[in-house]
Amino acid sequence: MNWWHRLLRRAKMEEQLDKEMQFHLDQHICDLIAKGHEPKEAIRLARLSIGGPEQVKEKCRDARGTRWLEGLVRDLKYALRMLRQRIGFTIISVLTLALGIGATSAVFSLIQGVLLTPPPYAHPEQLVLIPSVRTDGQESTQGWSASQWTEWQRQAKSFDNFAGYSWTFNFLVQPEGSESMEGLIVTKDYFSTLGLKPMLGSVSVEGQDGIKSPWIVLGYELWQRRFNSDPGIVGKTVNISRQKTPLTVIGVMPPGIRFLPVPGASKEPNYNVNAPVDFWMSFVLNQQILNDPFWNVVGRLKPGTTPESAQAELRVIVSREAQTDKNLEGVIPKLQSLTAESNRDGRRILLPLFGAAALVLLIACGNAAALLLVRGLQRQQEYAVRCALGAGRATLFRQVSTESLVLALVGGVFGIGLAIGIVKVFKVIGGHAIPRLDAVSTGWPVLMCGLAAAILAAALAGLFPAFRASRLDPMQTIKSDGPNTSAGRGERRLLRGVVITQTALTLSLLVGAGLLIRTMNNLASVQTGYDIGHILTLSVTSVEPDSEKRTNFHRYALERVSRVPGVQAAAFAWGVPLTGNSWPVEVDIEGQPEPAKPSDKLSFPVRSVTEDYFRLLNLQITQGREFRSTDDGKEGSPNVAIVNQAFVDRYFPNQNPIGRKLWFNGRQKAPHEITGVVTNGRTDDLTKAAEPEIYLCMWQATPFTKHLVVRTTADHRSMIVAVQRELHAVEPTASVEFAKTLEQIRSDSLASRSFAMQLLVGFSVVASILTLIGIYGVLSLSVTARRREIAIRSAIGAGRSEILSLVLGEGLKLITGGVIAGLAIALALSWVLKSFLYGIQPTDPVTLVVVAILFATVALFACWVPARRASKVDPMVALRSE
Amino acid sequence: MADKSDLPQGTLDMLILKVVALGPVHGYAIAQRLQQVSRGVVQVPQGSLYPALHRLENKKLLAADWKETETGREAKFYRLTRKGRAQLESESQSWERLSQAVGLILRLNESTE
Repeated sequence: MNWWHRLLRRAKMEEQLDKEMQFHLDQHICDLIAKGHEPKEAIRLARLSIGGPEQVKEKCRDARGTRWLEGLVRDLKYALRMLRQRIGFTIISVLTLALGIGATSAVFSLIQGVLLTPPPYAHPEQLVLIPSVRTDGQESTQGWSASQWTEWQRQAKSFDNFAGYSWTFNFLVQPEGSESMEGLIVTKDYFSTLGLKPMLGSVSVEGQDGIKSPWIVLGYELWQRRFNSDPGIVGKTVNISRQKTPLTVIGVMPPGIRFLPVPGASKEPNYNVNAPVDFWMSFVLNQQILNDPFWNVVGRLKPGTTPESAQAELRVIVSREAQTDKNLEGVIPKLQSLTAESNRDGRRILLPLFGAAALVLLIACGNAAALLLVRGLQRQQEYAVRCALGAGRATLFRQVSTESLVLALVGGVFGIGLAIGIVKVFKVIGGHAIPRLDAVSTGWPVLMCGLAAAILAAALAGLFPAFRASRLDPMQTIKSDGPNTSAGRGERRLLRGVVITQTALTLSLLVGAGLLIRTMNNLASVQTGYDIGHILTLSVTSVEPDSEKRTNFHRYALERVSRVPGVQAAAFAWGVPLTGNSWPVEVDIEGQPEPAKPSDKLSFPVRSVTEDYFRLLNLQITQGREFRSTDDGKEGSPNVAIVNQAFVDRYFPNQNPIGRKLWFNGRQKAPHEITGVVTNGRTDDLTKAAEPEIYLCMWQATPFTKHLVVRTTADHRSMIVAVQRELHAVEPTASVEFAKTLEQIRSDSLASRSFAMQLLVGFSVVASILTLIGIYGVLSLSVTARRREIAIRSAIGAGRSEILSLVLGEGLKLITGGVIAGLAIALALSWVLKSFLYGIQPTDPVTLVVVAILFATVALFACWVPARRASKVDPMVALRSE
Repeated sequence: MADKSDLPQGTLDMLILKVVALGPVHGYAIAQRLQQVSRGVVQVPQGSLYPALHRLENKKLLAADWKETETGREAKFYRLTRKGRAQLESESQSWERLSQAVGLILRLNESTE
């Protein structure tokens, strides 16, 4: 019989043990009778010689060697039964632990998906980005010229290879409407330097120099979406906007390859360094562009080289180049590890988030420990009896630990479910704050972390009560028929301190959440200066190669769209409010002094609009005139510009600005005349008053991509289809994408504030629940420890209400201490939220007072159950036991 | 009856193995045998015998079957396994060596007197 048998056939083994003992006894009796004793005498002598049969059996069972496993199984069954009995306690403990475990597992899952997954390049630790920095310390967004970094390829010994890349934005020309794509222009070494291998086709372009047959490599996501995962795509050609000839597809990349950072393009509206790359394109290297600092460079270090030595070598080469060519002065290379750079944003938000989640787990374990302590105190009689019957200290310890382990595991299961839900919520709301969120999946990392957190929680929460249970003196406990008060005082003080800390932290979180909620309310009612309702925007681009046809497209498009039923007005605009779209241009203003240094030059956001734009948005022209369709940049029509009131207030106070001249990018070109003044509108930032801005007429300054802005009377959803139809009637290949109402654009602009508010609200809710449970636990502990005192009071005449107020008073002291500490913390940390708030001070007294009173009231409810239990203590029973 | 001597645990195991080596036998018979052969010196109480038997069975030195005795009752008979035989061999040899050595030392003291 092996131990497996022993475990499963316990009943049979017990039966056999009994039989063996009985047989021995009977044989002994027979022998004694045979020797001549009386039967009764024989039985007595035989029994004497055995001693205690149960003890013998116990020793035999010990010898079986599976005691610990049998004990564990028995403890498990007992723990489950006990937990089922006190279902309220079980639910609260499981909920507490589930919150802690869920929070930690969710954040760990995010970290695993975002930070710990390595990028898809070969040996990514050898890859370094080489951005430029200015020697005078200012930011530099320029890249490197091809002549420069090809020189590096020849000279630099610490690098295996270099590759150049740049961000680009183009349209896939299709007969039913083009589609925008973002991609990289790359040199031919790009794929080999990064170690990227294609899924289909090949990317080795030796022999293809880009002139004869321009090539394109498709990204997996684009290939799936637009080309239906066509396996025969290699060799086919695609039409790309702004390219003279169609490009040949030479390969398709595997999924999940994202952009490398391009600082010069970071202000472009579609630039998203964390998105998957749509395409890689070849670049035609011609002589005049050779010296243009256009390229961003990535390099692969030779194995064993440190980035510092490589950077030093590169700087020496660059300074040598600058000596021969003065234009290259003032910028030096600064190496950045590729992986470190791509993790920078994610790390900034995820690590503090993980710290907060770990804090939640610790608080949850503290709470669970308090609850288990309360239970332990209530069950001291039972433990004492077990001790007296022979249970060793180790056995008692193991039994109590098993209970907390079961609680933790059940809490862990719920926690993992909660974590999966939390990750889903994050994927919906956190997209703009946490990069690469789409790579996060809830798989084994959640399970592993949940399990580890559960075991940790069981250890933290269960060890202390188990230790206490194993240490008690059975004699004292059985005699006193009640918990030992003096031993509980130290722990109670500790737990009180913990609960006060919890209350303080929760209150500061609640104050933060309250402030942000009021901020969002304030922002909802801020006057923007222009209409937001009933306005639809679409991103429209004409991919017509001929510029004359392009201009006509815009004119015809406006005509047709204006005639669609339900459309009140239509206009094209580059620089729709709150999109952040604008050209930052250096402007020379007539009558302003010449700037002394280049850094003193005035720079303004410049927008480009058609005639009906201001009327559409309900902005008024206060001086001068609107744009006209005759302001079209042809011969005879002067360059015109409209400025806003803020511009006039700053640069032409008390003067007539009409007719004044503005020079864009230097006084060599023809100036623009100010022909009108428009009222102020909050176009850049909802929280700030309007800044000076300049509007140009779209017929004179035409952007590639622009928005079609439409004022509608009807439901905008039906409008979208009608407008698209009209636009495609004019040019079928035009790109019409990203339909959004101005209201949606407005909420998007507030996205980071909304996210912060949602995070804070989430954390404060969790913290509140935990704190309320903590208050309940500590108060229960106190009531249990003070049973005798309460019984005495009740016996000498205290009524129920007096006892209630006694316990509630203790609870109130606890809560007040926590609330005051919390308010102090909130005031001290008020500067943290300052940048998020609008229209409200971080130390706003109304919010502080309301939150404090609200929390105190709810917390008093948590004290209700222990107080009721105290008032129900029967003085006779409690006193009789002494 | 001669005085009882307390046996250390290892020795009891060895003696049990020896008795079982002579043939399959049940627990009561082992106790009787030990008492008889040692002329009453070795008396093993039940509290030591049966735990020892179970322990030896656990270690696979003994194997057990339930068989009928002459009287018709069922009893648990123990027999020696091959591993048990080897263990018995090695332990007997150690015991021999030890007792010889102890005897030598004891006799040494007398002769120098």
